[in-house]
Amino acid sequence: MLQTLLPILIFAALLVGAAGACRRIRLWRQGQRTPMVWRRLALMPKRYLNDLHHVVARDKAIAHTHVATAGGYVAAMALALVVHGFGWRNPILGGLLLAASLVMFIGTVAVNLRRVNPPPKLSKGPWQRLSKSLIAYSVGMFLISLPLVGVAPTALGGGVLAIVLAAVLVWGLLEMVVGMGWGGPMKHAFAGSFHLAFHRRPERFDDNHADVGHDVHRGSRSTALFPLDLTAKTLGVEKPADFQWEQLLGFDACVQCGRCQNVCPAYAAGQPLNPKKLIQDMIVGMAGGSDAHYAGSGYPGIDVGKHHGGPSEPIVPQLVEAQTLWACTTCRACVEECPMMIEHVDAIVDMRRFITLEKGETPEKGAAALDNLIATDNPGGLDNASRLDWAADLEIPRIKDRPEGVDVLLWLGDGAFDMRNQRTLRSLVKILRAGGVDFAVLGDEERDSGDVARRLGDEATFQRLAERNIATLARYRFARIVTADPHSFHVLGREYSAFGGDYRVLHHSTFIAELFDGGRINVAAPTQPETVTYHDPCYLGRYNGEFAAPRQVLAALGLEVAEMERSGYRSRCCGGGGGAALSDVPGRARIPDMRMEDVRTTGATTVAVACPQCTAMLEGVVEPRPRIRDLAEMVADALVATAPAATVSSSTREEEPA
Amino acid sequence: MAHEALFKPIQIGNLTIRNRVVSTAHAEVHATDGGMTTDRYVKYYEEKSKGGCGLCICGGSSPVSIDSPQQWWSSVNVATDRIIPYFQNLADAVHKHGGKIMIQITHMGRRSRWDGHNWSTLLSPSGVREPVHRATCKTIEEEEIWRVISDFAQGARRVKEGGLDGCELSAVHQHLIDQFWSPRVNKRTDQWGGSFENRMRFGMEVLKAVRAEVGDDFCVGMRICGDEFHPDGLSQDDMKQIAAYYDATGMVDFFGVVGSGCDTHDTLANVIPNMSYPPEPFLHLAAGVKEVVSVPVIHAQNIKDPTQAERVLEGGYVDLVGMTRAHIADPHIIAKIKAGETDQIRQCVGANYCIDRQYQGLDVLCIQNAATSREYMGLPHIIEKTTGAKRKIVVVGGGPGGMEAARVAAERGHDVTLFEAEPQLGGQITLAARAPQRDQIAGITRWYEMELARLGVDVKLETRADDAVIRDLQPDVVVLANGGHPFLEQVPEWGYSDDPDESLVVSSWDILSGKVEPGNNVLVYDTMCEFGGMSAADYLASKGATVEIVTDDTKPGVAIGGTTFPTYYRSLYQKSVVMTGDLGLHKVYREGEKLVAVFENEYTGEQEERVVDQVVIENGVRPDESLYYALKARSRNQGQIDLEALYAATAQPTLAESGEFALFRLGDCVAQRNTHAAIYDALRLCKDL
Repeated sequence: MLQTLLPILIFAALLVGAAGACRRIRLWRQGQRTPMVWRRLALMPKRYLNDLHHVVARDKAIAHTHVATAGGYVAAMALALVVHGFGWRNPILGGLLLAASLVMFIGTVAVNLRRVNPPPKLSKGPWQRLSKSLIAYSVGMFLISLPLVGVAPTALGGGVLAIVLAAVLVWGLLEMVVGMGWGGPMKHAFAGSFHLAFHRRPERFDDNHADVGHDVHRGSRSTALFPLDLTAKTLGVEKPADFQWEQLLGFDACVQCGRCQNVCPAYAAGQPLNPKKLIQDMIVGMAGGSDAHYAGSGYPGIDVGKHHGGPSEPIVPQLVEAQTLWACTTCRACVEECPMMIEHVDAIVDMRRFITLEKGETPEKGAAALDNLIATDNPGGLDNASRLDWAADLEIPRIKDRPEGVDVLLWLGDGAFDMRNQRTLRSLVKILRAGGVDFAVLGDEERDSGDVARRLGDEATFQRLAERNIATLARYRFARIVTADPHSFHVLGREYSAFGGDYRVLHHSTFIAELFDGGRINVAAPTQPETVTYHDPCYLGRYNGEFAAPRQVLAALGLEVAEMERSGYRSRCCGGGGGAALSDVPGRARIPDMRMEDVRTTGATTVAVACPQCTAMLEGVVEPRPRIRDLAEMVADALVATAPAATVSSSTREEEPA
Repeated sequence: MAHEALFKPIQIGNLTIRNRVVSTAHAEVHATDGGMTTDRYVKYYEEKSKGGCGLCICGGSSPVSIDSPQQWWSSVNVATDRIIPYFQNLADAVHKHGGKIMIQITHMGRRSRWDGHNWSTLLSPSGVREPVHRATCKTIEEEEIWRVISDFAQGARRVKEGGLDGCELSAVHQHLIDQFWSPRVNKRTDQWGGSFENRMRFGMEVLKAVRAEVGDDFCVGMRICGDEFHPDGLSQDDMKQIAAYYDATGMVDFFGVVGSGCDTHDTLANVIPNMSYPPEPFLHLAAGVKEVVSVPVIHAQNIKDPTQAERVLEGGYVDLVGMTRAHIADPHIIAKIKAGETDQIRQCVGANYCIDRQYQGLDVLCIQNAATSREYMGLPHIIEKTTGAKRKIVVVGGGPGGMEAARVAAERGHDVTLFEAEPQLGGQITLAARAPQRDQIAGITRWYEMELARLGVDVKLETRADDAVIRDLQPDVVVLANGGHPFLEQVPEWGYSDDPDESLVVSSWDILSGKVEPGNNVLVYDTMCEFGGMSAADYLASKGATVEIVTDDTKPGVAIGGTTFPTYYRSLYQKSVVMTGDLGLHKVYREGEKLVAVFENEYTGEQEERVVDQVVIENGVRPDESLYYALKARSRNQGQIDLEALYAATAQPTLAESGEFALFRLGDCVAQRNTHAAIYDALRLCKDL
């Protein structure tokens, strides 16, 4: 009986599943269309088996579990199709099928153990069921295939036992095949495969892009936001159907593993954001319905089950509250951790673009900053001509006075208006002079890079600033740009190229490390041993992969670095990125306070920083707390005067300690 | 951004000043070598520039002429080419930290002394005597006028050749230029006096000659008065007219404006307003001048804190603020603001120790910052951490000396415990601050309290340290600064007793501390003639008592400096306090409810009596030495301070030795001196701990 039933079940499952898959594809294709190039599916295996490895392997146990479960399943399914579906009942194939089912079963045991008392990051509901379904499938497949190798009695072929067995297998097939197409937990395999193939950021997988060095941290290879066509009918994403279809596909790949939730600084601080829930809400919007079926952790402070959406219904506020979108610091920790390569930050900025550009509802100080940027070219609303006030006594050359060109154009950033950051800039100038660097500044011709405007969704202001800065830079000759601001560094280096601005941009830590390497600056050894730690700025580290240079600088200073548990690509955000310091969404705790706790845990008395925003956020933590010092300050203080190889005329001047 | 206005660079002439803060011209009394700037002088200004000051105008009243005496205040001598290379050193020292430096040049006319050095005959427009310096003078002749004009031009040339960034012509403080301006002093009927244009002529010729000599691209400013505050002197309207008149020439790059004339003791006190004045009392005068001129205006008078300075600038009253005494108290004001350490600024309290020394021809020092103008000796404004062992330091006494010792030791990185018997820190400063108009002196204590808290000093209040307590702490160094007590037991006939019910007299401390209620009819007997007696008298009068203050010296308050005794006198005269000199207190006895004080005239021996309710005596401080003698024998240095090392401000040799603790004592527990002496000793003893 089973021999008759099995092919029917398998083909029926495949058929129904395929129908579901077609429906699923139609759901994705509700998004903004780009041509669907089917041959890109060929990219999938390599991306899945090789390029994804570095992310997936971060959780070794679950990676191995997944290899066993998924590998076992894929093999078992393929073999079952041949053996049971087409009836090629070869004992060798039967043995392989048994082995595959067994491997899958072993993985499944691990899955089930994890599901006994699942960690809070995991969603429950259907995902709890999936663990059981996996058992059903693997055990069912195993038992039903035993006769192939002649182990089990043929009596299995009939009677009550056979019916039970068939029922178990049907359960398994429903979950594993039908559910894959129709939106059960197993849809992740289907959507995930397509997502890998059609991912909007191929640079994340491939090494052969011109602007991506092979040694660049993989998560940092494609981090520039996509430009927005300002002539489009609707600016930004109002409803799920406004997303690019690849984005909808990407959301659908989510496995609700909660790695994003675990690393999200806003979630940890009790702000109403949970990247996992956000992605699930996007799926709700795409498919239509309410979030009542969501079985994971929600947005802190917002009840689950009260929001609903549809592909052509506005997302905010009925599906997602605006607060949720404004709580994001764009730190990319979620993107970095996501094993399904989902791009949360792109989605959030897309939705912010609509709120800002179409509705004009940028919250709190964000709106004021945008108004200021429009009026004065800087977010503080300050007279742009005062950008160099802090350096009135330093006699820094202006690039307009150096028509022959300079080696380094020092990009000041908006920290030039901030007294705290001016200390960093003065230190940097001191270092450049000590190193005999040929440098100049734009002075009042420099405008805000547009970083904040862009992250707050004001793409129009961003593009205007970018175009004007690019036009200014086009008038001058310089070999490279150096800046102490990772946000300017990212925007100038990674995002201006889409508007025709291609520059070699170095963060000051990279440049200082280069000065050390070249023996152009010398420092005194620390007089007293001190424990320092280093806080990786998101836009330097995760966004641009520069983890090494700041640590080289600290090593050159003779300092031991006590690393925080969350450092490098896993650094916790200071809370100041993406305009979050302006939108200032309340939470249970403050992100910088939490980061300072990370610092305290190391026992460090000083935390070295490399970003004006991080400096401001961390210095906002109530004292007593470790000291916060920019790398440039630390180097400048330790400089000893030994004649460098080359000097410029003004390098003989000392400067005030202020 | 905080302090946006303060940090806005400004253009003066062709000069860019990095911020709006100026150390204005004052006599430093440091240029000792025939008026050449010394190492001390250069380091004093270098420190200000290092600390971020935008513009220093040095050399208050630097003479351009040989007959404007230089020596009395050790002024910079701009009357000779010898000065030029010295200026170059000075300019380099300031420039290398990004600051700018100018110098004030002048002929002081009658405002000087003739009785020394070259025995110059002083010049003035009409030979009218100057009261503050008790200076008689001759009427200047036409030839001398033209010589002095030419001297100004030559002086300006030397400034320019020396590489300074500009010069300020002094037409303030009743120097020769404004002596010509003021009808109070200028009684001439020739072309140099009478009409407005005639009175302006001398200054105008000076300006033209200077401009002709230095050209258009060198900064030349004028410091002027805002109102002489004399009915026969120049009013604010006159000064606005004058400022506009000179401004119209286009030859003046900036004006500095000072409220008040100063050729009487009373007006002089206005010029450098002490702690009895409100903040920026004469800003309106400078703002009035700013209304009528086209170039930047500088104003300095009682602008002491950054927030106040910001407010003045933000309001647009003036373009630059002089924070001169503020920089004497802490040359690192700007650096501290920029470093986010505004709370660590040691703020000027207006004690005017600096200027009151200057008027006596003594070097300018700060009552609370002993490092100021001692930079050349290696006395630090920023105390470096020790590279040696961490020591246990015990300081006894929370007055200025003890607080400084604790601060410096803690800055060195040592473990410091400070004992203070009273419920609060401050010692005698706390008492001094109780008097009317003297409350701001408590700012000294306030800064120390914040610093000691920041540095983690273990401050034990209401705790009297004794031998046993100190022994328990096992200190490496013990610093005694435990002060003393009012010296009332000196003359038994005064009737002082330790038992308050028995004692016929009380101390000024008893009154100021509030321990003893003021009587109705009070006699204050003051042998010291400094702050204590005057403050007690003022306090009593302010509480409604009828007060007479008597001294055996020439007049009460006679030992108080020139910018401070006038404000006491204003207060005491206003309250009808009788001030009597030349009477020594012979005896006090009780007669019924009343006390009878018997005085003896110092010069005739005649006795006279006062019948009062209360006799308050200010007879200085007697050191409390018992703790010292209890510790001395056990200490490894027998309590002795190596004077060679102390005066050279180097480490005490005993610090390198081992054994029992080293013992030092300083301040009034050794012998009565003053706040500065205690702080200076504490700094130089502890900076190498």
